[in-house]
Amino acid sequence: MKAKGYFGRIKDTCVTVFEGMAVTFSYLVRKPSTVQYPDRMPMRVQDTLPFRYRGILEVDLEICTGCLACERACPIDCIVIDAAKDKARGMIMTRFDIDMAKCMYCGLCSEPCPTGAIHHTPEFEGADYSLESLVRRFVHDPVVCYKPKKAGEDDPTILPLLERGMRYVDEFATPETKKAAAPEQPA
Amino acid sequence: MSLAGFEIDVQRSGSTGLETEEMTLNMGPQHPSTHGVLRFVVKADGEVMREAVPDVGYLHRSIEKISEKVGYHGFMPYTDRVDYVAAMFCNQGWAMVCEKLAGIEVPRRGEYCRVIAAELNRIASHLLFGATMILDIGAATPFVHAFRERERINDLLEQLCGARLTYNYMRIGGVAWDLPPGFADKTREFLDTFEPALDEFNDLITNNTIYVERLASIAPITAERAVSYNLVGPNLRASGMRYDVRRDAPYSVYPELEFDVPVGSGEVGTVGDCFDRYIVRIREMQESCRILRQCLDRIPEGPVIAKVPRKFRPPAGDAAVRVESARGDMHWYCVSDGTEFPYRTHIRTGSFGAMSIVNEASRGLMIADLVALIASLDVVAPEVDR
Amino acid sequence: MQEFLDSLIAQGYFGSLPHTLVYAAGMLVFGLVVVFGFVLIVAGLTTWVERRVWARLQGRVGPNRVGPQGLLQWLADGVKCIMKEDVVPAAADARLFKLAPYVVVVGFLLAFVVVPFGSRPIIADLNVGILYLTAVTSLVVVGILIAGWASNNKWSMIGGIRAAAQIVSYEIPTSLSIMPIVLLTGTLSMQGIIAQQGWAPQDWFIFHNPFTFVAFFILYTSALAEGNRTPFDLPEAESELVAGFVTEYTGVRYLMFFLVEWGNLYVIGAIVTTLFLGGWQIPPITDNAVLRILLEFLTFFVKAYFWALVAMWVRGTLPRVRVDQLMAICWKYLTPIAFVNLLGTAVWITVWPQGNQVARYLMTLLGLALIVLFFRRVRFHLQRARIRERGQLSLNPLV
Repeated sequence: MKAKGYFGRIKDTCVTVFEGMAVTFSYLVRKPSTVQYPDRMPMRVQDTLPFRYRGILEVDLEICTGCLACERACPIDCIVIDAAKDKARGMIMTRFDIDMAKCMYCGLCSEPCPTGAIHHTPEFEGADYSLESLVRRFVHDPVVCYKPKKAGEDDPTILPLLERGMRYVDEFATPETKKAAAPEQPA
Repeated sequence: MSLAGFEIDVQRSGSTGLETEEMTLNMGPQHPSTHGVLRFVVKADGEVMREAVPDVGYLHRSIEKISEKVGYHGFMPYTDRVDYVAAMFCNQGWAMVCEKLAGIEVPRRGEYCRVIAAELNRIASHLLFGATMILDIGAATPFVHAFRERERINDLLEQLCGARLTYNYMRIGGVAWDLPPGFADKTREFLDTFEPALDEFNDLITNNTIYVERLASIAPITAERAVSYNLVGPNLRASGMRYDVRRDAPYSVYPELEFDVPVGSGEVGTVGDCFDRYIVRIREMQESCRILRQCLDRIPEGPVIAKVPRKFRPPAGDAAVRVESARGDMHWYCVSDGTEFPYRTHIRTGSFGAMSIVNEASRGLMIADLVALIASLDVVAPEVDR
Repeated sequence: MQEFLDSLIAQGYFGSLPHTLVYAAGMLVFGLVVVFGFVLIVAGLTTWVERRVWARLQGRVGPNRVGPQGLLQWLADGVKCIMKEDVVPAAADARLFKLAPYVVVVGFLLAFVVVPFGSRPIIADLNVGILYLTAVTSLVVVGILIAGWASNNKWSMIGGIRAAAQIVSYEIPTSLSIMPIVLLTGTLSMQGIIAQQGWAPQDWFIFHNPFTFVAFFILYTSALAEGNRTPFDLPEAESELVAGFVTEYTGVRYLMFFLVEWGNLYVIGAIVTTLFLGGWQIPPITDNAVLRILLEFLTFFVKAYFWALVAMWVRGTLPRVRVDQLMAICWKYLTPIAFVNLLGTAVWITVWPQGNQVARYLMTLLGLALIVLFFRRVRFHLQRARIRERGQLSLNPLV
């Protein structure tokens, strides 16, 4: 890179320009790395995203226990839950709103959920025309919150949701004291 | 000189009595090449600058104040936004300062996960630096090539933590997710293709005479001035000072890893010129590749996070940690009063010091060189203003 | 053109009209055909080609949605620009502001008067052809300076002044590199210069002697600088001056400036093809007049457009030079070398008035060797990035 001096600089310029042009020419014969989203793709982008992807939040009300851990964990207060304890039936939930306009997709709400009811989906196309439509209201009629069964879930409508939720929750790292045995993660 | 008004000084040149005016230009908050929302009020005599006064604060979001409201756990996603280009380091800084306050020890596998994520992010940040600097100098192709590589790193980090830019990967006591199965193989595959891509990048632009001539001997900053103006990180190392927090005040598992610290040596011009700042970062990328390979080979089994209560109440007191971020030495200082919410948080970032030297370093440069100077200092506006 | 009109007059088509009127009308019609049928379309398509080439250099795709393969993108952009609001800044000098695009376009379109499209079709084969071309392309600098000044914007003014300094300075190496060819041929007329070359590479002036070989590169570099192309695109340096002298321009006025820039690529290609690469000369394979005209047109177009493509390729590769480095390159490097070329060519034709066949063949071999070396470097880079192994080789230009 030195070669100061009149002819040295000319030679350097010519050589490096030649080399640079060779590199760019080699790109002309390479496949472009563009992904032509959304219409010229072999599959939906949402299906190619990893399981941990933090997209738009979704709540499976069938397995929500009403523990309010997600509401407490959210730093922006975008989750609003109204739940009251009823002596006869357990926790009754009347409101579960997530304001996606405020949400920063940090994942702090899905971490403490005991059943994985609140989880991130691979969906990211959430643009809409009005701000009000970005508030996701999950409760239409008051629901009874879920109570996890000690013997394991046997209801076939709830079992797949619970399995998926627990799989989501298990992705999070657990501290030493909570683990029975350290799972062997292939390195 | 006032930033609000534009005074025009009329000078009379002695010999010919010719009236000349200094032009006051506003390199405004909206400009294609101030990295983020920065404003410079430039006084120029034709093309040559007399002074360039930075005007910061357009991106101030009171992040430090927000920490007092959201608490220790909830502040982690906000740290991503302090420097979103190199977010892992900010996460690490905040996690380390909370762990120091409460005396928590991170498991070894957690530390290794942190270093892997941090070094991947360092490569991504330096790629962005290189790309934007080259775009400012005028070549648009290496910009896209660098971003292609950065997209692959983003894909890796997306598999690791679910997000591509604001990772929120680390937690107090460790990291949130363990390495997914197959991650190490994918990372090694990435490194195998990245190193030749970096060589190709160098062939295309780093060795190009026009590029070198644009940067050689522009705004040289001596080591003494760099230290007195509080430059850190690659900016300081480019001026000849071999100082790296990972070496000189080591944290995490860096003492066990072998890597060199590249230092600028004025190979095409003066020590501490723009080209040195650029080439130091290119070499740091290669060192990060080395570190990554070592980490992937040596990562132990075990848990990745320590047990930390949900209501995190560290004892009253204060703690300060330093992290070698992509932009340099990042200080994190936190004062706790025993409650769930910090009493005061302060972040001292490398770009803040770099902004302060722009005025002095830009005397006598041309306007085109001001752009090169700001780009070579790797100033990221959100880090300056927080 | 004139002969064609003379033949038509002789056949009695125009009755008793004075000849000058016939010539003027004929040139006007032909000029309009050239402008609307050729220049606008070529300039518009050049924007599409540039964006696609630019994108493939970077590993992207480029516009491919509007129309088949994105071929109508330029029309869409044109329509969009026409529909934009016409903004004249309040404190700008309105008359000069509106005048500037016209000056630039006129300067550009006048160049097409002497650009040959074949052995017969040329609007006017002036006997000072190449000198006229150099003179008329300098009108562009007046327009740019007016644009920069009238915008009442310090950034625009800096851009305009840089452009003036740049274009005026680079006139010198351009003219000096044209001189060796004029020496060789003894004529300034474009058709005359082409007529003295042959269709085979060794008969082109670029391979005539080593001095013209170097003069070719000097001419190409200076012509790029004249056309404000990277690495010399300071007047419109996007990252420094927002958009340089066109910052305040919107809509159609903006379009005019950029149409001129892209159309200029073709003019640069036409100049170097005429002077150095044998113009429209084709091998004597047919006697059919129409076929000859078509082949000549295609040959000239392909050769000229190839150099426009090279300009786009160079733009994608090299960074911008700074203004003082630009001046240094012009005055300290290009001008002395151009002088040396001129003297060398003069000495050469004194020693060998008819040219030296051996030297011609040697130079042609040198050119071929450079091309072979180039493709070997390309292959090296492809191998280092393991493109073939990873299945990423794609020879399809329209992916």
